[in-house]
Amino acid sequence: MDTLLQLAIGNLLSPMVLFFALGVAAGWLKSDLAIPEAISKGLSLYLMLAIGFKGGVELASNGVSGAVAVALVLALALSFSLPLLAYALLRAATRLDIPNAAAVAAHYGSVSVVTFVAATGFLGYRSIPYEGYVVAMLALMETPAIVTGLLLARRGMSETTGNRAPLLSREVAREVILSGSVVLLIGSLLIGWMTGQDGMTVMAPAIVDPFKAVLAVFLLDMGLLVGRRLHDFRAVGWPVVAFGLYMPVIGAVIGLLAAHAIGLSLGGMTLVAVLAASASYIVVPAAMRISLPQANPAIYIPLSLAVTFPFNLIVGIPLYYAGAQWLVAL
Amino acid sequence: MTQLYRKKRIEIIVEAARARAIIEMIEAVGAKGYTIVPNVSGKGNRGIRDEAHLSDVFRNVMIIVVAAEEIVRRIVEQSQPLLENYAGIVVVSDVEVIRDEHF
Repeated sequence: MDTLLQLAIGNLLSPMVLFFALGVAAGWLKSDLAIPEAISKGLSLYLMLAIGFKGGVELASNGVSGAVAVALVLALALSFSLPLLAYALLRAATRLDIPNAAAVAAHYGSVSVVTFVAATGFLGYRSIPYEGYVVAMLALMETPAIVTGLLLARRGMSETTGNRAPLLSREVAREVILSGSVVLLIGSLLIGWMTGQDGMTVMAPAIVDPFKAVLAVFLLDMGLLVGRRLHDFRAVGWPVVAFGLYMPVIGAVIGLLAAHAIGLSLGGMTLVAVLAASASYIVVPAAMRISLPQANPAIYIPLSLAVTFPFNLIVGIPLYYAGAQWLVAL
Repeated sequence: MTQLYRKKRIEIIVEAARARAIIEMIEAVGAKGYTIVPNVSGKGNRGIRDEAHLSDVFRNVMIIVVAAEEIVRRIVEQSQPLLENYAGIVVVSDVEVIRDEHF
């Protein structure tokens, strides 16, 4: 069993984290280095397809059991309930008003697909297997937090102004439920499940070996985005930045304990911790901008993208893995 | 010489998240068409807005409508409440067009 320090250093010196750091430095120094938008979208589609397909194949070889249903219910419960905790913490520890606290809380109940993919990369370097249906948990966790966040905002704002904020419009519901990432993740999971090992033989040359290298290129692009957003910190305020660092750890602890309780493996526990720790920066901001325009995107985007995402990538993943190892050894 | 017809042109620069609501309103008040410039950038009271990556949150679009004065006035009035809490610029100008029946 590696010590936490060995894990942290091993993670820090992996190509994916080093490319991310290169991107952050280049973005911060305003280099003209840029990955064309179409290519970065293509890379993210590739990563989601690969991870969904692998999860489906794993599911086909180990079979669908009651454990899958339990895990999916847990995913929904985490996504619905984590924003309640986040909201209470934000209202107590920061000066964010009701709409902003509710919007930020929604981000922390939802998930970051890239953080999850990076965590599977981390497990991959160590040849640690994980349950395929954790990918389905990922897809299920994107949306419920948005509903909770909007309910919190509606409840809080009708108390103060008497105005009832509109809850999830049809437009937003379609956008989040049929969001590209959810459709591709679930779709490739189903295809992987239906085609099993035969399908994997066909897909493996494209989605297994190049996976880690593509992830590294994608993280370079993420680094560029984060680096360009670093100067937005001042607008966010230190108590809120601190929230972006301790909330993932709290979420991870809850995720680890819940995953342990339902009997997931070391790899599965690590991934559920990452899901509970990560914050959305694509689907939830888009939904909040439409449904809760009073909240300021200059707070919630830098917080989830430039604070929580790098924290999880660099410190969080090895930390949660160490926590999972500790729980397994108990 | 080709005949020209006097019309009003209204230009709405709005964040992408709100574009759909604006377009629905434009159709509802009876405009026969509109033009969209999908990605415009610049600087205003919400700072520099030019982020096309990741999500539409920092992206602006420009919606252009050319129509009779009466319709443009309705668009102006109904834009006001729709733009609350959103980045938005509304500009109206006089223009002349050919092919009157298109507007």
